[in-house]
Amino acid sequence: MNLFRSEEHIAHWLDGRSPGMTTTVVTLSELAHAWWGNRLDPAWQPRSKAANRAILDSLGLTGPLWSLD
Amino acid sequence: MEAADLQVRNTTYHGFVELGRAPVVGEIAGRLQMSVAEVGASWQRLHGLHALVLDGDGSSLRMANPFSAVPTRHRVRADGRWWFANCAWDAFGICAALHVDGHISSVCPDCSEPIEIDLVAEQPSDTSLLFHSIVPAARWWDDIVFT
Repeated sequence: MNLFRSEEHIAHWLDGRSPGMTTTVVTLSELAHAWWGNRLDPAWQPRSKAANRAILDSLGLTGPLWSLD
Repeated sequence: MEAADLQVRNTTYHGFVELGRAPVVGEIAGRLQMSVAEVGASWQRLHGLHALVLDGDGSSLRMANPFSAVPTRHRVRADGRWWFANCAWDAFGICAALHVDGHISSVCPDCSEPIEIDLVAEQPSDTSLLFHSIVPAARWWDDIVFT
């Protein structure tokens, strides 16, 4: 999971391999805050797969590559 | 997750943040007045539940996601310290977990040029950058270190 300067840099780095998921760094920040924001809470509990799915869905991160199953 | 394992997990995470590095098993055992063997067994169970990640020998921490116990290309300045993140997503996750602004230093894997981002109020200073994961989400935990 890496940061790239542009789509061209991703394509060049893939060098013919099948691409994975690409999103903007703005969405990545939203995802990270939704996903990791409670990690140090004293009342932290493991999150269900359905709850993880809901976070991805709320940010439009859908489709086969974003499937958790 | 059993309550005792949850306590070990929380103590491990808070120990990581307080120390600014991965705690060793004896440090957690000391904080909880448990034996090293008991904490080690708990860490193994937490590893199996993907609540943390142990190194190959199973005795030391590799990840307390989003924090990395080992140096990586993804560094974060937050809360007065430098941290290593496991990946680009986790770099943002460190600021999220600590609830602070920060600075992310990474490298474009294609051109090897540095990538520097200020993160203020959850907003990245350079919005032109892209995030890419070559591993589909369903397979992230097949090899979490590679992911």
